[in-house]
Formats: sequence, C-alpha cells, structure tokens
Amino acid sequence: MSADSDAAIVRAENVTKRFGALTAVDQVSYSLRRNEVAGIFGSNGAGKTTFFNLLTGYYVPEEGSIWYKGEDITRRPIQQRVAMGMMRTFQLTSTFDNLSVVDNLVLAFYRAHRSVSLWRMLFSTCRAHRNEPRVLAALETFDLGDQRDKEVRHLSLGEKRRLEIAMSMLAEPEVLLLDEPLAGLADSEIKSVLEVLGRQVGKQTIVIVEHKVSAVKEFVQRLLVMHEGRVIAEGGYDECMQHPEVRRSYWQIDARQRGDEQ
Amino acid sequence: MIGALKWWAGPLLAFALLAALRLLLPLAFVIEVLIFSIYTIGCSFLLGRVGFISFGQPAYLAVGAYGTGFYLFYFGTNPYLGLLIGLVSGFVFALAVGPLFVRLRSDYFALVNLALAVIIFYLMQKVLADVTKGDNGLWFLTNIGSTPGLDIARPEGFFVFSLLVGLAVWAFYKYVNDSVFGACCLASKLNEDKLKFLGYGNFGIRLMAFVLANTTSALAGSMYAIYLGFVSPEITSPARAADPVVVTILGGTGSLYGPIIGTLAYTGMKDAISKLVGNWELAIGFLLVFIMLAGEKGIWGTLEPRLQRALSRVKARVAR
Repeated sequence: MSADSDAAIVRAENVTKRFGALTAVDQVSYSLRRNEVAGIFGSNGAGKTTFFNLLTGYYVPEEGSIWYKGEDITRRPIQQRVAMGMMRTFQLTSTFDNLSVVDNLVLAFYRAHRSVSLWRMLFSTCRAHRNEPRVLAALETFDLGDQRDKEVRHLSLGEKRRLEIAMSMLAEPEVLLLDEPLAGLADSEIKSVLEVLGRQVGKQTIVIVEHKVSAVKEFVQRLLVMHEGRVIAEGGYDECMQHPEVRRSYWQIDARQRGDEQ
Repeated sequence: MIGALKWWAGPLLAFALLAALRLLLPLAFVIEVLIFSIYTIGCSFLLGRVGFISFGQPAYLAVGAYGTGFYLFYFGTNPYLGLLIGLVSGFVFALAVGPLFVRLRSDYFALVNLALAVIIFYLMQKVLADVTKGDNGLWFLTNIGSTPGLDIARPEGFFVFSLLVGLAVWAFYKYVNDSVFGACCLASKLNEDKLKFLGYGNFGIRLMAFVLANTTSALAGSMYAIYLGFVSPEITSPARAADPVVVTILGGTGSLYGPIIGTLAYTGMKDAISKLVGNWELAIGFLLVFIMLAGEKGIWGTLEPRLQRALSRVKARVAR
C-alpha cells in the first residue's frame, strides 16, 4: 500500500484522439500521482479538454490506453469510472437547472454514499436527505445556504460553478478533475473556490484544466502544458514557464487575451 | 402526523371535489373524467418529468383493455381479476418494448410509439380478428359478475372504485415526484451527461419511468373495459393518438393536478360543444389552438401560482 501511494493513480499511455482530419490529442502520455495537485494548461484548441474527456471516459481514444490504479480503463464506461473514484466537472457549468440547489447536492450525495439501486431510489425521498450533515456542510462551505431551495436556473454563473464543484466534492472522489473551474468567475469568487480546493490538498488527487495559468500558479504542484494536441512541457511551474516552446505559445495567448480585454 | 395530513391534503381535496362533481353532473361524465385523468397522468409524467413525448399512448391503453377484455370474454367473470390481468399485461408489455424505445431521442420516441399504436390497431382489427371479433369488438358486459364488497359491475360501485383508484394513483405519483428517482428523472430530462458523470445510469431511470407511466395507461384501459363492458380496436385508433398529449399540455405538463384539470376542460368542452355545433371536432380544434397559444403553461400551470398566492394571503390573515 505504501509503495502504491507514490505510484501513479491515473496514467495515460500514448493516447490519440482524432476528429476527422484533426488530431486533437496526439500521442500524449501522462501520469498523475496520488494526492497531487496537477494542472493542464494550454491555449484554446490545445487539446486540454479533449485529453480531459479521454481521461474521464467521455471519449474513447483511437490509440493508446488509460490506466487507473493499475487497471486498464480505456474502454470502461463512465459510470464505472465514477464508481472507481473519478469525478469531473464541465467547462460549461453543468448542473440540473430544473432542480433546487439542495436537490442537486442530494443527487450527488445519494449516488456516492447511499445506493445505485433503482428500487432504493424510488423508495427514498429527496426530503429525507436534504439535512444530511454532509449536504449541509457542502451548502455551508460553498456559501450556498441562502440559495438552498432556489431552483438552480435562478443562480448566477459563479453560484452555479460553486454548486458544481460542491456536487463533485460531496461525492468524495479519489480523483477530482476540474475543467476550467474558474472561467467567468470574479476575483473574489476565484479566491473562495481556491480556498475550498486548498483544504483538499493532500487528501485528494486534483487535476485542473486552465486557460489562465496565473490564477492557479500557487495552487498547482505540477503542470502539463499542451499545444496543438501535444505535450510541450511537463514539470514545476517555473520550469515550464522557462521552456522555450511554452514561452512562444503561452506569451502568444497572453498577448491575445490582453487584446480581448481592451 | 400533521406532516402526513398536509401531504394527503392535496390529493384528498382533488378527489373530494371530483366526488362532489357527481352531484352536479351525470355519472357517465364524471367516470369518463376519472378514467381519462388516470390515462393522462402517465403521459404527463413522461412528458413533464422525463421529457418523452409519446403519440402512442393508445397502444398501452389498448393492451390493458384487451388484457382485461380477453379474460372477461373467454375465461372468467371476476372484474377485479380482470383488472389485475390488464395491469399485468400493461406492465409486461411496457417492460418488453421499453428497452428498445427509451434509447431513442424524444422526437423518434414520439413516432415509434405512434407506429406501435397503428400496429396494435391493425392487429386487433384485422390480423387477430378471429379472436378479437375485428371491428365489432368483444362484448362482455353480461359476463361481468357482481363482486362482494364494492360491486364494480354496477356504475355506482364503479364510480366509487374509480375515485379510490384515482386517489391511489395520485398519491403514488405525488410520492414518485418527491423521491430521489423522481429527481433523477428531471435531471435526466435536462442533462443526461451530468447525471452519467455523477454515476447514475440514464437507461435504467428512463426505463423505469416508461414502465410506470405506461402501466398507468394500461390501468386506465382496463378500467374502460370493465366500465363499458366491451373493447374494440377503436380504443387504439391512431385518430385518438394525440388526445392524451393535448390534454397533458392543456392541463399543464408535468404538474400533478394538470391531468385532472386538463381532462375536465377537454371532456367538458367536447360535451358542451358537441351539443351546440354539428362539426364539434373542428370547433374544438380551433379552441385548442387558441388555448395553447394563450398560455403554454396550461390551465393548472397558470392557476397554481395564483392559488398559492391567495392561499398565503389567507394564511397571513388567519395568523393575524
């Protein structure tokens, strides 16, 4: 077990994913260590999200394989990966807008800590789970207590993102994969989300896909920088930023972003 | 205790009002409303909760009706047993076609169900005519034996029985809407990917919703068979395929009491207009178009928030 804790919890070997003529992810190999905080960076279209979708089972790679705790999960369906302990969020916030905030949390909680059986689901009410300590704690931690009974469609984007992260953390997965969790958030909201994630460091393996590297540079321990479907650098933040290829592609994005903001 | 009373208040009030309707309106009308409401709530659940629109509900209605009809025509006399057979046929049938159908997207789902209704119509009218007596239908009114206790072979007894069944069905759907499963249905309607990534299986959730809804439709079919004492292919006529969908939308899709309100409005309109106008179907068609344009939330969807506001005003006044 102790030897295992240093070993890779998730490993991708030479995975390739093509969409028609476009090779979105090209021969990427990557391994995630248990309880580390890793970042995947790159410009738009670098293949970050596609790679992320391969790890989480949304796509099946054309070549290569994906391993979880030493098991080949390349072709395992999403549900099985979730049951094994992988949980993800989406780049475009993904919540159930027609349910109340608390019921969104109840659904996340119920599957992870109660039951998968349809019969059990039919014979237990949402109401009975709304005051579960863990659900209440999630409302508290993510500052959603006031919105508890509101339908999610009435929430702001920041609140929805907090809710989505709350849902995935409520399931207490071993590997938490966050796809651009900070996009569209105000600075104060970014701070509060990072604060909550910070408390999980050392308890969970966390992977963050980000576009704006500066926001999370203090948070992530190791980076993977992608460009046009390939890995161009891997290692610590400073190390990656020194890398000539990263400088070329990354500063280019930065310049474009400044252009957008003006 | 108070919680339970509060929970039951809605369904009890609804069916008390329907029972009271008997004092004003003919028995046949109220029974028709009760059965058709039960028929519609399955459709409303599918459309409002799961996002499946079905133009083939008559297929499931017919399976229930013929299940009961075959038993009462060929084999036995006990209407309760007939009802049970109809219900079980509906359940088995839904379980058999469900796994194929629930994989489809909503628009294809609507059409494949319609096709199923057409298939059953021709099966009953032509292919199985030896057994079903074709267009003449099966007549078994005189075969239905009286039963001890509540005698559902007589209209008055059947009326009380329909009220009780209706109350049970509404309590069941109210419970389902509150359950984790009910929340999963709503979730799956909106965002099936997210549900998958929480670890749920959309297929199972949809299949269960499909089977529940269509078993309810079959129950309504069985009730028609016993009440009318005959079954003919007309029950699954493709011309009637859109009725439950129309009534669902008219009442307020997915709401618990929408199907009752919608059925009352629809059946009432049909009755009233057919007495006044010759081409009543045309008149109703225009009226429906107008109503749909006026309020896409349906009658109950428009009324409910007003009622709730009025209720909270009354409560505030009482509290003072």
